Amino acid sequence: MLASVSSLVQTNKRLDTDANIDPRSFEFKKNKFGKPEILWQSDESSMEWPLHFNISHTSSLIACGIAMDTPIGIDVEEKKRKTVKSILSLARRYFTPSEVDYLAKISDSDAQQKEFIKLWTLKEAYVKALGRGFSGAPFNRFSIQLETNSRIQISKAAKVCNDSASGCDYLSENWRFALAELNSSYYMSVCIEDNSRGFENDSVPLGLKVWKTIPFIEDTLVSGTDAVKLIT
Amino acid sequence: MATQLSVVVSAKLVCTAAAAAVAASAPSWNKGSRISGRKLVSMRTTAMARSGLVSLRPPRFRVFCVAKPETVGKVMQIVQKQLALGDDVKLAPESKFTELGADSLDTVEIVMALEEEFKITVEEDNAQSITTIQEAADLIDKLVVGDSPPPA
Repeated sequence: MLASVSSLVQTNKRLDTDANIDPRSFEFKKNKFGKPEILWQSDESSMEWPLHFNISHTSSLIACGIAMDTPIGIDVEEKKRKTVKSILSLARRYFTPSEVDYLAKISDSDAQQKEFIKLWTLKEAYVKALGRGFSGAPFNRFSIQLETNSRIQISKAAKVCNDSASGCDYLSENWRFALAELNSSYYMSVCIEDNSRGFENDSVPLGLKVWKTIPFIEDTLVSGTDAVKLIT
Repeated sequence: MATQLSVVVSAKLVCTAAAAAVAASAPSWNKGSRISGRKLVSMRTTAMARSGLVSLRPPRFRVFCVAKPETVGKVMQIVQKQLALGDDVKLAPESKFTELGADSLDTVEIVMALEEEFKITVEEDNAQSITTIQEAADLIDKLVVGDSPPPA
C-alpha cells in the first residue's frame, strides 16, 4: 500500500515553494488509528511545514489530497451512485436528525440521492481528516449543514453527544470544506483544519488546485476548467 | 495568504495495482476459523480419572468458537446482493469486503442489512473491525448470543 501511495504523492510536485525536496525521500507510517501519514523529519530544514495527505478511491478513480501544515481528508464518490437501501433509511441509521430533516424535505428522488452523496463525502472527508477512524467520529455525532451559496458548516450533534458515554471530546468544529463536481460524474469533498485564527473565514481562499495525473507520465491542471466545478 | 491545497486525481485503469494496494487491509485474526462451525471442547483426562479416582491436575480446556455455517452463508448472501456479485464470483469466509469491491458506503449498507437480518445493533468500533465475511459472521453470532449464557 505504501508503495502505491508514495507514487501518487511523489508525482505531485505542485507545491508553491522553492524548496528542494526529493519526494523519493518520503517515508510513510501509520498513526495509532491506522491513518497513513508521511514520516516528517523535524530537521527537514528545506521545508518549513510538514506535508499531509489523504487518499480516496471509487471504482474508476483515485484521488490524493495534499496539504501543507494541515491535516487533510478527502472523499470521492460517483454522483449517481445508487444505494440498495433507501436514502432516508440510510440517513436515519447513520446521520443526525437535522441531516435527515434536510434530506426528507427534498421531494425529487434524484436530487435527494445527490444531496445524500454530497453529505456522505463531506462526512467521510471530515472523519478522514480527523484521522481517528470511523469509530473516532461516528457519523451521527456531528452534522454538516449544506445551505446553498454559503459556507459548509460542521457542528456537533448536541443531544447525541450529551447522551453518549464518551461524549464528543474528539470532535472539533474548526474545519473547512470544499465540495466540487469532477467531470460531471463525481462529487469530491476535501476537509482541512481551519487555521484562520479568528479572521473572517470567507475572506481567506482555500487555494484548491486539482491535477489530473497519469503517475510519472503526465500532470494536467484541471481546476479552473469545466472538469472541476466548485459547489462551495 | 491562501492555504496551500492540492488534489491529484488519477484514472483507476492505470493504477489498478495501486488501487488494490490502497484498499485498507486489516490483519486477519481468524486463522483458526477454517475449522467448520462446530464448537469443539476437548478435555484431557488422566488414567486415574478414567478409573474413577479424581485427578489432581486441573483439566485443560481448548475451546474453538466460530460462527455457525448458516450465519456465514447468510452473510455471503447479503454481501452478494449488496455488491451485486454474479454467481460466478466465488465467495469464501476469508473474502475481504474491499477485495470484493466494497467501498465505505457498501460496507455500511452491508452492516445495516446484517443488523436487520439478525436483529442486532453493530456499534461503530465493531463495524470498523469487520473486514471479511468470517469476521462479520463471528461478530453476529457473538452479538446474537450476547445475552444468553453459553450452553453447558
